Amino acid sequence: MMSARAVGLGPALRKAAFSQNIVRNQVALRTILAKRTIQTQSVSPAAGEEILNSQRLKRPSSPHFTIYQPQITWIGSIVNRVTGGALSALLYGFSIAYLIAPGTFDSTHVVEFVAGLPDYVKYSGKTILALPFAFHSWNGLRHLSWDMGKFLSLKGAYGSAYAVMGATVVTTAALVMM
Amino acid sequence: MSSSILLRSAFKSAASKNALRSALQVRHATSSTAQYVPGGPIYKGTVNDPTTFPPSSKVHGSYHWAFERLLSASLIPLTGAAFVTSGTAYPILDGILGVSLVMHSHIGFDSMIVDYLHARKFPILGPIATWTLRTATVATLVGIYEFNTNDIGLTELITKVWTA
Amino acid sequence: MQSIIAKSLARQGVRPAARSFTTSAARWQAVPTEKPVLNKEFKIYRWNPDEPAKKPTLQSYTIDLNQTGPMILDALIKIKNEIDPTLTFRRSCREGICGSCAMNIDGQNTLACLCRIDRNPGKDSKVYPLPHMYIVKDLVPDLTLFYKQYKSIKPYLQNDNPPEQGEYLQSQDDRKKLDGLYECILCACCSTSCPSYWWNQDEYLGPATLMQAYRWIADSRDSYGEQRREQLQNEMSMYRCHTIFNCSRTCPKGLNPAAAIAKIKLELAAE
Repeated sequence: MMSARAVGLGPALRKAAFSQNIVRNQVALRTILAKRTIQTQSVSPAAGEEILNSQRLKRPSSPHFTIYQPQITWIGSIVNRVTGGALSALLYGFSIAYLIAPGTFDSTHVVEFVAGLPDYVKYSGKTILALPFAFHSWNGLRHLSWDMGKFLSLKGAYGSAYAVMGATVVTTAALVMM
Repeated sequence: MSSSILLRSAFKSAASKNALRSALQVRHATSSTAQYVPGGPIYKGTVNDPTTFPPSSKVHGSYHWAFERLLSASLIPLTGAAFVTSGTAYPILDGILGVSLVMHSHIGFDSMIVDYLHARKFPILGPIATWTLRTATVATLVGIYEFNTNDIGLTELITKVWTA
Repeated sequence: MQSIIAKSLARQGVRPAARSFTTSAARWQAVPTEKPVLNKEFKIYRWNPDEPAKKPTLQSYTIDLNQTGPMILDALIKIKNEIDPTLTFRRSCREGICGSCAMNIDGQNTLACLCRIDRNPGKDSKVYPLPHMYIVKDLVPDLTLFYKQYKSIKPYLQNDNPPEQGEYLQSQDDRKKLDGLYECILCACCSTSCPSYWWNQDEYLGPATLMQAYRWIADSRDSYGEQRREQLQNEMSMYRCHTIFNCSRTCPKGLNPAAAIAKIKLELAAE
């Protein structure tokens, strides 16, 4: 009933049903024939699930980090992870290297090697080390204060982010000068 | 109303054919090709079934979380101490720092593996990464112990390299 | 009307001028204050399930902002009505209470009905569906898993000892604990802004569901808090949260899921 009304066939069908000369009424006949092709088919829940799943498998996944606006929130988070990973990789790398070749990677050789480097390499190297260390340390404090229930508002998150960035710059400069 | 009655009676035979077809499809559905893949578009159960929880374990839950925070917090005084003194004066400092830094690193790396390379999604690469990390962590612990005992120790090395 | 005026004018003997007078008055009244054309380009994510092999594309539409309402949803409806009826998106209340029109607009998840159009004509606006979701069509993501996860935390009052008569009573302070939690409309903006949810959404519950989990843990009338907390004691369900704060940053209702999750973590650690 609803579908017939929706397509606007109701009156035509009703007319056709009670019409004596249905064969001569070409319009009514055509609408009935057309209706025959739009029949619905009842499907069991399991079969419906099967149809749905075949459609689901074709669905694309929408783009994510490539289109998401760069925000201090998640950029800061991934930088925290990258800096921590880099410093840890250095620790792991040196320790394993010393374990494998203690003669090559002992303190005297390492210090000698660094002392022989030109000044600009020394200072850029110090910056490359001090910057991630400073950021990861300050941001670690920020995380710890969140975990204690402090600065848990959006304002707190942003304010502490700027504080961490400021402290990172100052600490990095101080460490490089040391 | 009249039109719907008319239609229903007219296509009764077609409807019974459909019933037969759907019965066959049910049998087909049980041998479905659509399999659940973690993170895939096919879900476990119907749309009305809630998702399930992994088995509860405080070791993987709150204990792990609290331990990680305590460890991180303890790194603050340790780092501060390493700035004002050196491992030569207090060898115990190098020992504690060596172990806690490596544990902190291990938890961090492990967290990355769980986030990006979990075994349920990467059944080959995931376990390889986990065991590589475990091996590397043990090797690092041994290496840093060797360095702290046979060489000048961690804090002294950093100080010397920094001022070299 | 005109004939009456003409008749009265004729009586005064000014007939020839009558017609020109009336028409010029009408023309003067009909002149609208024409707004200048302010064309803006909208680039909208399109994918049609009827052509599944075709890759999703950004389709460009240009409309006159001075003939459009102020919100992104107005622009989408105008495009659908006047340019491309095949453009598909969800919308219902147009006032930020149903959560249907959640999408990624200019890189941020928000409700299209609450998001003002940036009136700078030089910059196009990009509209994507919610990030890292399976797409049903165009801007319509499949939220099945999101709803299944919401159901998993049993988002209803559980209490084995109902009061002997009347209703559950609650102090004003206890009621206050639910403020900022119960207002969630489950639009999924926060969950789909969370990188952890992007990578592990099949196991990690995501900020929206976790905040609702806390809403029932915090409810003084609910006596199943222990079971609710116990369920989250694993590596994936909650502890994939790394306090990134994308959720609180993006919430179109100004709620704070990150704080709610932090409070659950504290409660679990105190147990």
